[in-house]
Amino acid sequence: MSDILSTIQKLAEAQKNAYITKAADEGKRILGYMCSFVPEEIIHAACMVPFRMTAVGSTETRLGDTYYSAINCSLVRHIFDKALKNEFSFLDGIVFMNGCDHSRRMYDNWRDALKTQGLGPEFLYMFVAPHTTMETSLNRFIDELNGFSSALEKNFGVNITKNALKNSISIYNRRRKLFRELNEMRKQPEPPISGAEMLAVQLAMTSIPVENAVDLLEQLTEHVHDRKMDCKDKLRIVVTGGAMEEIDHVKMIEDSGAIVVAENLCTGGRHSDVSSDEDGDPVISIAERYLYKVSCPRMVDEFENRSSLLEKTLKEYSADALITEKLMFCDIWGGEVFLLKQEAKRMGFPLLSLEREIYGGGAGQMKTRVQAFFETVRNIQ
Amino acid sequence: MIVAGCDVGSLTAEAVIIKDSKILASKIMGVRATAEKSAICVMDLALAQAGLDYSDIDACYSTGYGRQAIPFSQKNISEISCHGMGAYWADNSIRTIVDIGGQDCKVISIDEKGLVQEFIMNDKCAAGTGRCLEVLAKALDVELHQLGPLSQKARKPISLTNKCSIFMELEVMQHVYKKRRLRDIAAGINNAVAKRVVSLSRSVPLKPGFAITGGVSKNVGVVSRMEKLLGVQFTQLSVDPQIIGALGAAIFAQKENGNHD
Repeated sequence: MSDILSTIQKLAEAQKNAYITKAADEGKRILGYMCSFVPEEIIHAACMVPFRMTAVGSTETRLGDTYYSAINCSLVRHIFDKALKNEFSFLDGIVFMNGCDHSRRMYDNWRDALKTQGLGPEFLYMFVAPHTTMETSLNRFIDELNGFSSALEKNFGVNITKNALKNSISIYNRRRKLFRELNEMRKQPEPPISGAEMLAVQLAMTSIPVENAVDLLEQLTEHVHDRKMDCKDKLRIVVTGGAMEEIDHVKMIEDSGAIVVAENLCTGGRHSDVSSDEDGDPVISIAERYLYKVSCPRMVDEFENRSSLLEKTLKEYSADALITEKLMFCDIWGGEVFLLKQEAKRMGFPLLSLEREIYGGGAGQMKTRVQAFFETVRNIQ
Repeated sequence: MIVAGCDVGSLTAEAVIIKDSKILASKIMGVRATAEKSAICVMDLALAQAGLDYSDIDACYSTGYGRQAIPFSQKNISEISCHGMGAYWADNSIRTIVDIGGQDCKVISIDEKGLVQEFIMNDKCAAGTGRCLEVLAKALDVELHQLGPLSQKARKPISLTNKCSIFMELEVMQHVYKKRRLRDIAAGINNAVAKRVVSLSRSVPLKPGFAITGGVSKNVGVVSRMEKLLGVQFTQLSVDPQIIGALGAAIFAQKENGNHD
């Protein structure tokens, strides 16, 4: 593995990294979040570093289960377990989101733990994004963004100016453009990067300051420019689903005779694909980007758009099949997979629906299912 | 041409040796500590039965949960494809295969060449598998192979309301304490397992030409109950339904290494 890919892989697998430590040493505050709808630009414009919290490194949910139960999402149970072990003590604040009810509940749990166990940080903010794209929702979302900005200003004594917001939009757009360029290269018959490597890239880039992410992505783009993956007899797969951190899981899929050429994952392509408008009022640009352009099933009136986008992705990336990835007890993806199965029949593309616990067991059964699916796809081709 | 297939599952391992499209030998045994040991043991037995040596085998493919760990196999294929191909080879009118193994059950839809078109496999729990039957037979204190014949004598089968094997076990124990007849409890167990598999099968197109494979196909109680629930009759295969996975692997080895019979 090359130096740059190895650096990125290590970042993806580390809980805390040197970039974050350096930013903190330089006086920057680090703000944790867990959902693709949390506006990184606003946090950045407040001179802070948004840090996507993950379950990386977690091996159990013993403490997390003192607040959650075994019928809650394993991702939030792992993350809260880490929190209760003070593994997020380097954060200066946390932005919770109503992405789903399991993660939303963490706001209540954390506040209780703050009160009863002194679990820091003290700045715990509940950010609410509407679930529909109506005009009234946009207005509501703009109010929410303004409210969030004011909370940051008031709590941390910072001033979020329009110019700072525009600069933040610009640098985040730069990161998104670099992602898009990498994804564009994956449309080639021999993509320059595997799906497992790409997941590591996506995970790493949300765990470091955006300036470092841009720098690393530029190096990576240059490095992989002439690289070609061995795609002989391999199926081209698109993966869509909720949160995924397990690079080994994607590797298992690829080792079963495929290359993952595109993905729309909560921790992957979803946040990196679309830019904010750089002209006009920055708050409105941010609101429109997050509310209208992020393809996530938490939005209840957008299935047709998501389905069209998926159809376009399958076509543009010359995909042979789709794999859906759902964590157990995820209602949002449960509904989405049900609808996608119907779409798969209507459009005639092969679909395999996988369900797992994050960092869970059952690799043997999963491998059998994936291998049999690939054999089936080859049979019907 | 002599080819072989080896299927190492969670409870049993099977080996099949084929020469010129005829089964020369087949063996079934309980698994050993590792997939590799199981594979070597069962293949040694099959080779001894056929009077052959490893060097006589032109190609060997593996399948089952241990398929990647088998040293003498040139290629591994999923048990879903192998059960499809094995059942088709045994009877080319078969289009739908219900395979109930030790730790999973699958419903497989194949085409007119024996290739898988669609499949469904249990992923939530082990209810509806051989392991579930094994646990429940133990709770009833009868041998696994007795569950089928015993259940056929039932007059008032009990109803197991739980869907989880562990809760089913507790329910079975309660019926034992209440001194319900063993045959009625056995029938209840087989009915519950059959019901779980039938509910799974609804997700796959059930094309006429049904076969049942895997270890649980030897339980007459489960098989007859499934026939009733599905409203179909399983075709009696000419070979032992428990070796179908290994047979399918051998057929793939034969097809991909020269002889297309």
